[in-house]
Amino acid sequence: MREPAQMRACTWIFLAILAFAVIQRPSVTLAQGGGAPGGWVTPDYAEPQVPVARRSSAPRRSMAGTWIPIGRFGTGTQAGGVHLKPNDGRPENQLPYTPFGLKLYETHKALEGADAVPPALGNDPRNLCEPLGMPRVNHYNLNLVQIMQDDYKVAILYQFDNRWRVIWTDGRQLPTVVEGGAVKLGDEIREQRFLGYSVGRWSDDTTLEAVTVGTMPEDRVWLDSTGRPITDQVRVTERIRRLDSHTIEWSETIDDPKVYSKPWETMRLPMRLADPRTDVMEYYCSPVEQQNYNRRFGNSASGGAGGR
Amino acid sequence: MFRVRVCVLIASLGLVEPVAMAAHHGSAAFESGKSVVLKGTVKEWVYSNPHCLLVLDVKREDGTLVEWVAEGQAPNTIFPVGYRKDSFKPGDQVAITVEQVKTGQPVGRILEAVLADGSVLGRASSAGAPPPRDQ
Repeated sequence: MREPAQMRACTWIFLAILAFAVIQRPSVTLAQGGGAPGGWVTPDYAEPQVPVARRSSAPRRSMAGTWIPIGRFGTGTQAGGVHLKPNDGRPENQLPYTPFGLKLYETHKALEGADAVPPALGNDPRNLCEPLGMPRVNHYNLNLVQIMQDDYKVAILYQFDNRWRVIWTDGRQLPTVVEGGAVKLGDEIREQRFLGYSVGRWSDDTTLEAVTVGTMPEDRVWLDSTGRPITDQVRVTERIRRLDSHTIEWSETIDDPKVYSKPWETMRLPMRLADPRTDVMEYYCSPVEQQNYNRRFGNSASGGAGGR
Repeated sequence: MFRVRVCVLIASLGLVEPVAMAAHHGSAAFESGKSVVLKGTVKEWVYSNPHCLLVLDVKREDGTLVEWVAEGQAPNTIFPVGYRKDSFKPGDQVAITVEQVKTGQPVGRILEAVLADGSVLGRASSAGAPPPRDQ
């Protein structure tokens, strides 16, 4: 029978060993819940954020990593509208539409949001497998994203449709949007792009500020899945802050005077670092699979109103 | 130490709370909040985008069969909940809980599935997604 003092000592020793073991764990928690059959690490969306005590300070000018929104799985989905302004009919989520913007919104037949229509009646360009474009890529199932970078650029790899976007950080100039939506690079007129032209700068060692212009016109892209409009006059400002070793915050503000009377913030999404070995499943828009889905399900769900 | 073990156990339980599913298309087509339990024989399981489809023969009270088509979200979305390419095989006897479409046709979205081996998979759609939990 041990003395109480000895038992207390044993307890303290055990706790010290436990604490040491916790501290010595890798800085990135490896997948447990997600599993890794054959070494293929699957996303672990349920994994909790690493405790503050185990995080270190933010690395200098680095956003590299595989990132998952903090919160339940689906936090980044934004099916009901952009992150900070869901299209739910509430007064606080009404947008500052211009008359043209409101009229444009009313022509969009979305499958989500306060004015949703049945599947076969929708006219979301996504349903034709059109590229989402910028900034909708930031508001479409943003549940897992990879960021890679070098001295010249930060590349964001989106899961949906395996799209990637480059934010140039090498000091180049932001293009000028000219009449008709095209952009001017130096003396040269260049084409509009679904993801636009993005230029970023490090406003400090942990904050990347990016501006995007030169996107596609309003008849090609939507802002979100609820049919809110966006035009090629938009100027998208993103701010990605590295809060610590395991956390970033990704915010976005849009300024599109053609459809909104003032700039407004669409997203402020905290994200946690995931296992860097995470294998990202394909998630794509296939016209063949879309057609099959409409034929077997979507049309019935719409009362046989016909497919898109 | 017993208290410590209890705390560890409670903390572990907190990690297995079901995760919410993502939405892909609208909820306008569904009878929100009204679920139907279907027991039947699997004809086909289509693991595809934008939604997975489960085709099921369900026997009516008069003995005739009706073909149901139930959807789940895209593979990448329902994978974390346990739905795999081989979760359903033709001939499997399964029970699924669905939210039917408003048109009354035999189509709906999967809320829960009891597989042939008795294992249970959770929501494969966005219907009734639970609120976020702190992490």
